[in-house]
This record gives sequence, C-alpha cells and structure tokens, in this order.
Amino acid sequence: MKRKNISILLLLLLGFGNLFEGCKSSDVDATNSTSTSTGTSTGTTTGSTTSNSSSITTALSVTGTTTTCNSTGVAQIVCLAEAFKATLSSTQLAATQLTYSKTNAQKWSNLPAGMSARIGINLGSLSDTQLAAFRNLMVAVLTLGTTDEGYDEMIGNLVADDYLNSIGGGSTYGAGNYYISFLGTPSTSSLWAILFTGHHYTQPITFNAGAVTGVTPAFRGTEPQAAVTAASRTYQAFEQERVAFAAMLTGLSTTEQTTAKLSGSYNDLVLGPGQDGKFPATKSGLQVGTLSSDKQALVLKAIKLYVNDLDATTSAAILTKYTSELANTYISYSGTTAMSSQGDYVRVDGPSVWIEFSYQGGVIIKNTPHSHSVWRDHSGDYGGN
Amino acid sequence: MSIKLLPTNKSGRLSSRLSNWLLGISLLVVTLGQPRLATAHPMPNSVVLLNVHVNRIDAELQIPLVELQSAWGHAVNDSSVGLVERLGPQLRDYLKSHIRPQSPDGRFWSVSVGELTAHESQNPITGVYRELTAQVQLVPPAGSDVRQFTFQYDAVLHQVMTHKILVSVRQDWECGQLAETEPVQVGEISLDIVNNRILPLPVNLASGSFWTGFMAMIKLGTQHIAEGTDHLLFLLVLLLPAPLVVVGQRWGQFGGVRYSLKRLLLIVTAFTIGHSITLLAGSIGWVRLASQPVEILIVVSILVSAIHAVRPVFFGREAWVAAGFGLVHGLAFASTLANLQLDAGPMALSILGFNLGIELMQLTIILVVIPWLMLLSRTPVYTVVRRSGAFLSGIAALGWLAERISGQPNLLTEAIEVIASYAPYGLIILALLSLYLTWRARPAKPLPTA
Repeated sequence: MKRKNISILLLLLLGFGNLFEGCKSSDVDATNSTSTSTGTSTGTTTGSTTSNSSSITTALSVTGTTTTCNSTGVAQIVCLAEAFKATLSSTQLAATQLTYSKTNAQKWSNLPAGMSARIGINLGSLSDTQLAAFRNLMVAVLTLGTTDEGYDEMIGNLVADDYLNSIGGGSTYGAGNYYISFLGTPSTSSLWAILFTGHHYTQPITFNAGAVTGVTPAFRGTEPQAAVTAASRTYQAFEQERVAFAAMLTGLSTTEQTTAKLSGSYNDLVLGPGQDGKFPATKSGLQVGTLSSDKQALVLKAIKLYVNDLDATTSAAILTKYTSELANTYISYSGTTAMSSQGDYVRVDGPSVWIEFSYQGGVIIKNTPHSHSVWRDHSGDYGGN
Repeated sequence: MSIKLLPTNKSGRLSSRLSNWLLGISLLVVTLGQPRLATAHPMPNSVVLLNVHVNRIDAELQIPLVELQSAWGHAVNDSSVGLVERLGPQLRDYLKSHIRPQSPDGRFWSVSVGELTAHESQNPITGVYRELTAQVQLVPPAGSDVRQFTFQYDAVLHQVMTHKILVSVRQDWECGQLAETEPVQVGEISLDIVNNRILPLPVNLASGSFWTGFMAMIKLGTQHIAEGTDHLLFLLVLLLPAPLVVVGQRWGQFGGVRYSLKRLLLIVTAFTIGHSITLLAGSIGWVRLASQPVEILIVVSILVSAIHAVRPVFFGREAWVAAGFGLVHGLAFASTLANLQLDAGPMALSILGFNLGIELMQLTIILVVIPWLMLLSRTPVYTVVRRSGAFLSGIAALGWLAERISGQPNLLTEAIEVIASYAPYGLIILALLSLYLTWRARPAKPLPTA
C-alpha cells in the first residue's frame, strides 16, 4: 500500500471546519454591514477604546534621560546603537546585527509580522533593560515631546497594535511583533541602517559616512484610527495626519478640487511595500505652485507631520528641500475630500517627496476604516541605494 | 496571493481535489510569511482560474465584492443579499465588457458569462469577505489557438487602481495538469504604476498532447486507489477468505493454489467490471447519485465483506457481490472524473486512463498481498489473521459510517489514516510471518548423510 502522508491528513482535518464554512454559497445578510462608501462625512473618527498596555509599551513609555553617549549627531546614534547592542546576548546580537543589503532593507511590510516575516529582533524578546536601551536609541532618531508625533507616535502605534491583539486579532498583532535590526555595523564612516518595522509602522534610517542619507520608505498607519488609551495615556497616533489631509483638500476651491481629483479609485497604497522605485512618470492632480500661500501652507503642514517625526537636525534638512520643491509638488485625491470614508485617498507627489494616505476598510475592526500611509522619497529611499 | 475556499459544487467525497485545496489552504495558513505573501496587499485580489480545453477555456472568476463595489458603483458589497437575482444581467454585461481575450491575429474571442454566485470567502490577511464567483466561457475564433492569446481583462481594475488580478491555470488536461493539484499562476494583471496604464496579460500555454493527458489520468487513477483506504480495505477483506473452502457453515482449509487463484481472479474481475460500468456511466453523466449515499454504501460493502470473512454468508456468489459493490465504488470514482468537466475526446481517454490506473494499482496491491495470504492460509494461524482482519475492518467501517452520516471526522477515522500510513510495515510483518510459519510447517527433511 502506498504510504500516506499523515501531515496532509492532519492539515485536512484542521481545514475541515473551514471547508463547510466555505461551502456556504448563500448570500450574506446585508444588515451585517454598514454603508461606509457613501454619505457625507463628518471628518472625525468616533469612539475611544482602552487597551491593556503591554509591558513593552509601558517600558518604552518611561521618560528617562540618556546618561550615556553625550556626543551629538550620528556619533551619538552610533554610540546608542552600540549601547543597545551591548545589552544583547550573542544570540540576540546575531539576530539584530545584519549585513547591509538592499534585499534586507526591503524587508518591510504593512502586514503584521506573523503574516510577513521581518528581520531583526522582536521587542517581545527583549528584557526591560534591553528595551530601555532600544528606547534611548529611538528617542535619539525620532522627535521627542510632541503628542502623537515622532517617538510618541511610534508608541501610540504599538499601543494600537496591542489593542488589536487584545480584541481577538491574534498573537500576530501587538508591540512584541515589532522588529529592530542594524543593517551594516553602526559607524560614523560607513554605510549602515536602522530598520524598525512592524505591522503599521516602519521607519528606516540610512547612514553613510557619518550622515543621514535616507529616512524612507517609512510606513505609518493605525487600526483603530480612533483613540486608544493605555497606561493612563490616550494615543491617537495617526489622526493628525488624516485631519491635516482633510484640511488640505477641503481648503481647496471647487475648481482646484476638480483638478486634484483622480479618475481612478484607490483602496490601498500604490507604492506600498515591494513597490520600490515605481514612481509614476507623470504627476497627477493639482500643482501646489498654483495655489495661494495659505493653501500651500496646508500642504506643507501635512508634509511636516511626516518629516518632523525625525530628530530636529534630520527633519530640518529634509524639510528645507521639500519646501523648496513645494511649487513643483502635486496633490491629488480620490473618494471624498473629508478623508473619513473607506476609499478616501490622497497623494503628495513632488520632485522628491511622495506621500500617500489611504483610508481603507477595517481588517480586525470590521466596517470601520483605518489608515495606511507611506512616505517615500524619489531619490532618497533606502538612502539612495 | 489570495487564498480561496472553493465551494464544493459536485462531490461531497473528500476527493483528492478537495484535499489538495485544503492542503494548499492549510499550508498557506500555517506558513504565513512565505515570500510571496511578504508584501501582499491587505485588499483581497481577484482570481481568474482557467480550465483549458481543446477548443475553449472555461474560466472561473473570483471577485471580492468590496472591490467590485468601488469599481462599479452599485452597492454590491453593502447589499449582497439576492445580488445575482437583482443585478445578474447587469453583472454579466459588466463582466463581458471587461473580459476580452484576443488571438495573435487580432481577432477577439467570444465571451459568455454563465453561473454567478455571491458567497463568503476568506484569506488570512483580510479574514472573511464576500465575493462574486462567475463561470465564464472563452472561445477563440475558428482556426485560432486556444493556448495563445492576449488576455485583456480589467474588471474592477479599470477603476480601482490598487486592484490586482491573479491569473492561474487550474486545469490543463493536455499538459497533464488536473484540477487535483494547485493552480499554476500564469501572471498578474495590475496597474503599470510608472506609466499609469493597464497592460493586458500575454498568455502562452505550453502545448500539450492527448498522450500527456492520458498519462496524467493513469497517474490519477493509481493515486485514487492508493489514497482510497476504503476502496482498498473492501477489496482486501473480500479477498481474505478467498483461498479457503467452506466446510459446513464455516470457513475451512486452504483450497489449493489453483482454487485460490481462480476465485481471486473471479472476484477481482467482477469488481473491475462492476466499477468500470458505473465509472463510464457516471463520468458521461448517465448516472448521477448524490455522493453521500454512495459513500455510505461503500462502507456497507466493507461491513458485508467483513462479516463474510468471519462466516461465509455468500459463498459461491462472491463474484456477484463484488460486481454489485463494484458498481457502487465506480460511482465514487466517476465523481472525480465528472468534476474535471472534459470534452468528449479527452473524457473518453480519461475514463480509459483513469480506469487503467485504478486497475494497475489494484493489481499491484493484490500482487504484493495475496502471496502472503495464500501462504498463511495454509497454516492454522490464518483463522486468527482472517478474523482479526475482518474485525478491524468492521471497526474501521463503523468509524467511516459515523463520519459519512454526520459529515464530521471522528477519532476512529483519524486513527485509521494514521494506521494506514504504516501499511507498508504491516505488509512486511505479514510477509515475514507467512514465511516463518511456512518454514516451520514444512515437512522435516532427513538429515543429509555424511
């Protein structure tokens, strides 16, 4: 008798329940869903939820001062990276310290890490001491002290993911599933990168010869979009961006809106993970240079909410560039201008800057939209490598 | 990559087609994070599955309703109840206008949209979602090759720029690819972001042959028997008492090699004739029985044979019983073939090939088992072997009976599958036992004189 594969059978039995689920060919009760694609929007997200904060976000939220590494700039970041590495065991270090390659740098996604494997070491496997060293490092590369921006936005993002975990999203969600790695050895002379990536948050920072050479592609998003409370703090990590885009679009005249409106629909990001270097050859929408200065300021305000997440020195340099290119930057959108319904989409496409924001269907929280957003740079993604 | 649960339309039997799908799904669910999912999009994709025939392609489209709604405007996702009844004609028109296969000479194919169903599907990324499944027939113009065309398909994608359409071949008989295995992806249709356009997908399927298809069917036939523990068990239990003569109302001694072979041959031939008839009739569509009663009858055939192996209840009429139950088993085989939905030519070859495969596998099994049974049947131990075999088969049959009536697997059926995987070892033990007992039972030879 031909030998039978037991694993096939076990998998088959596991899948048995699903089979019958899948066999149902009846229509689905429409009352299960609420219409989200039509109707006027209020421009707000409603409701607030409470998360049982994980020990990770609690540890990371502690605001302590960095006692080591009194140097500045990249030298300080290298010092803090080394300090973090020094807390790791040799096994942990081997997972964290990787070689620099484009292939490694491209290993990010907007899926939970359980669905799209990340490289590096996950926060869930770090001790409080190690988390503190990680925090010192991230505080140095991100801006500190602004609610729901910079480092605070990162924490809020982890808190939101903890919430998804706690409401039945499963073990693939949560702060423990965010990964930190060093691609190349941190130094003030060579090419290396910090890659912090998890479900709704990816921030790479590429260094070369003692300078920051790239901070994109950076992914931001959050589910739920509504506020989440943890450790007596209420986070709404990615709400200001959504509001800023709505303000930018509703601030336009009807004619300007018509010019800015894209003909297609967008249910997700165009240049999400894996879509590197595919910037459209022709820009779509409305040229910012044709707008009044107050409307241009609204565009810049939205851009700042991304750029200013980074430490002051880095963000200032990038912002100067984006501001100088603002007149030749285009904005476009699809769906409604309120950025409050599923299918609402907005894009900022400049000579350098590329930002997309997509307000899309809920995954864990059904029928409630949530945001995905990617910030790229036409020439600066992965530090231009 | 979107992972689908296929609605089982025809056969309720856990045919290998289904089990392969389940396997595929389970594997994907278990091994999330594999490269092709690495950068997958959270929005569900469309899937186009091609069944390539000699002169047409039957395509199954799977379109997530949430995406279709964005593209089409109608509230197909928000209000999917009675969707097909309500919007069937418009849906067909919509699909027809967005599916335009074109031959290399520029001529367009004729497209007809058949059955539409709206149902729930799921993938590990987005969870459960609603989708539309459409059966579409694509027929190339006269003289045009069915295996080479430009697939202009932009349903949903014409409007939803972030949509993706995965095109796969699910069945290509001439290339030996059957719906039993996982579909082979031929490409993806999506927005060319840089140039902001949607390019059609060039499809160039490797040319196949009837021979490849025929051989694939033989393979399928052998697999079907090798994996069909119930079919095998029936046959083995039926053959268990075949070498024996009847004394009174009980099984007696070994009836001799000639006697045994004659009876074995008769039983096997009768079974073959029986299942060939219904396999033919069922595949062509003359006979169509619901799968559940067929599956239950197969279990009954094992039970009856097990009883017969303990006490001869139909001695002398084994061939008729084998033929009768052969008819039942053939119906189960037929559902596998009918699901392939082949044209007449390939179907005729498939019936032949599939049946040949079944016979080959049966023959192999008989050749590796019967010699040992015949050897053993000459020893007193055989009574124990026969009765235990019958008893265990009876227990297995009862387990299957419960499973097939309830539709749920139970501990017993799960155990059977585990045990079945050790069958080759069982065969070795059987062989060694029969050899040892035969050696011990041999008449003592006089010692060679010095």
